[in-house]
Amino acid sequence: MKSVVTTVVTAADAAGRFPSTSDLESVQGSLQRAAARLEAAEKLAGNLDAVAQEAYDACIKKYSYLNNAGEANSTDTFRAKCLRDIKHYMRLINYSLVVGGTGPLDEWGIAGQREVYRALNLPTAPYIEALSFARTRGCAPRDMSAQALVEYNALLDYVINSLS
Amino acid sequence: MLDAFSRAVVNADASTKCIGGDELASLRSFVAEGNRRLDAVNAIASNASCMVSDAIAGMICENQGLIQAGGNCYPNRRMAACLRDGEIILRYVTYALLAGDASVLEDRCLNGLKETYTALGVPATSTVRAVQIMKAQAAAHIKDQPSESFAGAKLRIMGAIVTEDRCASLVAEASSYFDRVIAGLS
Repeated sequence: MKSVVTTVVTAADAAGRFPSTSDLESVQGSLQRAAARLEAAEKLAGNLDAVAQEAYDACIKKYSYLNNAGEANSTDTFRAKCLRDIKHYMRLINYSLVVGGTGPLDEWGIAGQREVYRALNLPTAPYIEALSFARTRGCAPRDMSAQALVEYNALLDYVINSLS
Repeated sequence: MLDAFSRAVVNADASTKCIGGDELASLRSFVAEGNRRLDAVNAIASNASCMVSDAIAGMICENQGLIQAGGNCYPNRRMAACLRDGEIILRYVTYALLAGDASVLEDRCLNGLKETYTALGVPATSTVRAVQIMKAQAAAHIKDQPSESFAGAKLRIMGAIVTEDRCASLVAEASSYFDRVIAGLS
């Protein structure tokens, strides 16, 4: 899975050399930023259910036609699945914060995303609305430190961009 | 290939759990001790060629048959291959130590290595001995306490700031990667 360390090791291995000073500097740089990422991951993990619920409520409020018969949020099963999808993205964001790269989102969230939504006839706009709500909902220092919020928002932006 | 962070993610994903609490605590200590880890990697990388040649020379000292006609380190061509393999194994152990996870060592080095050596007629006991010597050397270099009686005039001290416990956890981690190599070869 792509991260600073694995990128460095792959490059060193391709050249058949031991890790050089500049390789170690790259790893050191990523470790320095890790504290903020891990803080964001911890806060998100602690509040994931509430964050996802708020985001889900916001998107259903904006796209209320989804509650109509035959639409994507019309039955309890569908509602549970919609909320689960938002939680799923939040969990992958939690993973990406831990790894320090978009690897988990890319591999487990974004790859095949468009095809799945098209096959299931799901609109992507509500997902974007839910994630955009989460994007503007986070507040420093109430929820987490400013640097942690930057890391968290960057990943939300990344998912939003992948959907639009 | 995984590192300590993506290993935690893969484990959490298997049970669709978020990463919080205990897992984060161990990752935080990984981050906090990051500089020690980088010093340890640097200590091995900077002494690599010396470590490899000493390990192979030690292996041959204990089994002179290797450099006599018919031995596996005779002629020079095969001795060179032996030195090259020693360096490759040490290099992958260094990568694993940098990543904090053995997957790179397992996938790119040990996978099929035993079968290859068996097919080529490389004696496993001698290979294991060379790896054991490198394991002891790596421990000495990470602690920055190479043995004066063994090294003699070639003694090299990195001079990095070493903490009072002499990076015991990193020594144990590096040793576990060498042990994986030994287990994979025998």
